[in-house]
Amino acid sequence: MESAEPINHSMQQSGSGHENSSCPDDTSSCASEAIRFAKALLTAASDEELFRIICEELSDIFNSDGAALYITQDRDLELKHSHGNAAAFIGWDMSSNAGRAFSENRAVTYSAPPGIDPGSLPLTAASLPLTLNSAVIGILTLFTKKALDSSPVQFNEKDIIMLSELAEIASAALSNRHECNCQNSKSKVHDRAELLKGYLDSFLENTADAIVTTDLEGHVTSWNKGAEKMYGFSHLEAIGQFMPFVPDFLIDSEKTFIDRVALGETLKEIETIRKKKDNSMIDVNLTLSPIKNSTGNVVGISGIARDITQKKKTEKNLLRRNSELSRILFISAAMRGTLELDKLLRMVLTAVTMGDGLGFNRAMLFLRDEKHNVLKGAMGVGPASHEEAWEIWARLSLEHKSLASILDEMDKNPNKKESFVDMLCKGIEISLDSDTILTRTVKAKKAYNVVDIQKEPLSDLELIQQFGTEAYASVPLISRDKVIGVLWVDNLFTRRPISEQDIEFLRIFSNQMASAIENAQLFESINSTEQQLSNIFGSISDLLFFTGTDYRINKVNKAVVDKIGLPEEEIVGKKCFQIFHGMQEPLMSCPHVKTLDQQKAFIEEVEDFHMGGTYIVSCSPLFDKSGALLGTVHIARDITEQKKLRQKVADAERMAALGEIAAKVAHEIRNPLLSVGGFARRLEKRLDNDLKEYAKIIVEEVGRLEEILNDTLGFVRSGRLDIKQTDMNAFIDKIITLLESAAAAKGDQLIKEADEKVSLQIDQNRLKEALINIINNAIQATKKSTIVVKAFYETRPDGLKEGIIEVEDHGAGIKTEDQNRIFDPFFTTRSSGTGLGLAITKKIIESHRGRIEVKSEIGKGTKFRIYLPAQEA
Amino acid sequence: MKKILVVDDEKNILKLYETELQDEGYSVVTANSGKEALEAFEAHSPDLVTLDILMPDIDGIQILRMLKEKKPQTPVVMLTAYDYRDDFSVWGSDAYVVKSSDLTGLKDTIKTILEAR
Repeated sequence: MESAEPINHSMQQSGSGHENSSCPDDTSSCASEAIRFAKALLTAASDEELFRIICEELSDIFNSDGAALYITQDRDLELKHSHGNAAAFIGWDMSSNAGRAFSENRAVTYSAPPGIDPGSLPLTAASLPLTLNSAVIGILTLFTKKALDSSPVQFNEKDIIMLSELAEIASAALSNRHECNCQNSKSKVHDRAELLKGYLDSFLENTADAIVTTDLEGHVTSWNKGAEKMYGFSHLEAIGQFMPFVPDFLIDSEKTFIDRVALGETLKEIETIRKKKDNSMIDVNLTLSPIKNSTGNVVGISGIARDITQKKKTEKNLLRRNSELSRILFISAAMRGTLELDKLLRMVLTAVTMGDGLGFNRAMLFLRDEKHNVLKGAMGVGPASHEEAWEIWARLSLEHKSLASILDEMDKNPNKKESFVDMLCKGIEISLDSDTILTRTVKAKKAYNVVDIQKEPLSDLELIQQFGTEAYASVPLISRDKVIGVLWVDNLFTRRPISEQDIEFLRIFSNQMASAIENAQLFESINSTEQQLSNIFGSISDLLFFTGTDYRINKVNKAVVDKIGLPEEEIVGKKCFQIFHGMQEPLMSCPHVKTLDQQKAFIEEVEDFHMGGTYIVSCSPLFDKSGALLGTVHIARDITEQKKLRQKVADAERMAALGEIAAKVAHEIRNPLLSVGGFARRLEKRLDNDLKEYAKIIVEEVGRLEEILNDTLGFVRSGRLDIKQTDMNAFIDKIITLLESAAAAKGDQLIKEADEKVSLQIDQNRLKEALINIINNAIQATKKSTIVVKAFYETRPDGLKEGIIEVEDHGAGIKTEDQNRIFDPFFTTRSSGTGLGLAITKKIIESHRGRIEVKSEIGKGTKFRIYLPAQEA
Repeated sequence: MKKILVVDDEKNILKLYETELQDEGYSVVTANSGKEALEAFEAHSPDLVTLDILMPDIDGIQILRMLKEKKPQTPVVMLTAYDYRDDFSVWGSDAYVVKSSDLTGLKDTIKTILEAR
């Protein structure tokens, strides 16, 4: 029989009249049910047993026919255990009820339409997400709840509240079990924290940037090696001083920067001047960002400065380890409390104090601060007085609130958050050198039950004085054999004695919680480390990235994302040579290869065609604590512009030298050559036969030599241009007419393509010479083919309009290594020719403030492009 | 018969120009230095002067100025290995020929200038 479409009810919608909840209405019974459930879970010896107990216990509590437990695997649900009648419904449940609870992360209830076959679908069902740190770790479904008379009933709102609370306990047990079993995952978390620290250390160690932090008055609080190097002041000289690198005349403007950053603004890429210790000035590029404390107030300023006067700074020695700065950065990061840890701590304490049956009156958590060797009060829960105690408990028993909803309320209510007990607790600091019950709890790793403070000489005086406690118990929080804190409880208001059973339960409970707390602390420190890293990354305009030993990219900064043009997710995890060099194997000229091989830092200049430019790449190895190579840190700086500039200077110098030589050559050779050639002409006129022929040869050879001299001199002659607005199509036509016969002699055809009217300001004679050189070259390189010349406009990315003359042939092509040299004077690949043609061409085009580019492929042909500035008509 | 003063510091070149220009039907006087050039200019009152720019004793451009100061009407053709087209100082001359073993260009220039007188 075809069943109707199942109807899902969310917990808000389900308001059926069945009121026989298996959870009694008063909070204390609910709590005792929860504690019974928790105790049952603690008996589990294996995962399988834990799954089974959860299913059985919950079926039992809610009097339902079956239960199924799924655990999140990647993005799917995996069935871990089914109990009772559940097995038949798993397929339906995963696609429908549990599936929806999973995807929507909320409780989902279901009741079958009338007349359904109970063999194919459950009559009622409730699915609930199991969450940890707000991530769904699994789903629990209960099938067909039964009333006392065994008739199936709907899961109601109270059931869901109860179930949520129990699910929270189950989640904690599951996560704890997972932690215990899977040492791997824990060590992974640790490794990750270590790795991130390593990244930051290595970055600070390697960067040539000056990273300086100051307080809001401008007094230096940290000073890295880069700052020492850049400004000349040592760490000792700088700390505590008013920014020693600010020149007197800039102090006022610097103070306005401080004011702006103090208001939370981040100032990026400021170009300003800095004074060195020897009073010389340097230009720097500066980024200023606020340093915030845990409450979000700006307490200082971090400045990252880059010396832009000496751009080759990175080529100098790598900076040595600067643990000082990194420590300061990390302290500030650690100071930032996160809500997640707070919430966890409060959850622990609320769990300990909730319910008057087993709950304690007051509870406090002390966490161990190893650096200062003290126990510090982290949080306290409980009423401040008898009156408050009765008031709170009276209200709680009226409201039937679940643990989670109480926690949420506490979050939103600042008064309760800052309760009197909590405030007192946070002020307490107990030295671990002293000998008291609390310190013994830490040192002996065992629980203490102080039945009467009068009879216990080691009672903690501070607690007696501030909290008026008369009897209390303390249990250590032990995570991986280490005491990370102490849980303290008492029953001041009810005066109920703390029993050995209470202690036993506390001990088990605290062990469960210790690892959770440590994890939360760890996650918190990872979060803030990551935050710290991304702050610094964001401020660095160099390409900065980390790779593993397998060349896989682990982390990149914003500059890399911007440069590559892919989202970060698509870069991370790829091999670096794929992303940066477009290759399938490592680029041998990249220092990365050497760094991995020799485990030392290397700096090289890398020319990269894939990225289109020249980069200074610094690559340093990253080690873990045991000294094993984890990967590498890369800092790459684009020096394409600098390199081009350097090249231009070198070109200019070469030209100047060449000019001088040319002048001398001309003077020394031209005159004797003139005599030889001149007299040979006279002889040629007067001689006959063979002798006339010989004289002619002399004349011709001298003519060739003189031509070389003309080229040379043409090359060095000064460049005043005779600029005229010129129709480029007509201009090209004239040149083609000139060269047509030369082309035809090689079977070539010169074609002009005119798609648009192009008019440029040029010196016609000079540009004619330039174009003739290029086209002649094309004719030389081609046989029985076409050479296409065209002129058109193009607009550059910066909005500048350029006129372009393009000469394309399908000839022999130019070797890649020769492409950069063809514009060099005296460079030629032909057996004849002076090698000056293209050099002169380039000079002519540059004198028009244009540029020439060549693209060529062996066997396919060559494309020359002349770019000239175009004026808007 | 038009008289031409040829000035060059190279004797062989003087010899070449002398014979070639005589073949063209000119009377030719030669000067082997700046100093000789100034003397010959005074003594022979040529109809035209060809002047090498690079000379060891007096710079050709200085001589040009001196000649023009004395007799501004006498045309002077500058001859040199360099292209001085963009040099202001050369603008004072009447013509400018880049030296070549092929004297056709020089001869044509001289002919044009003298016929224009």
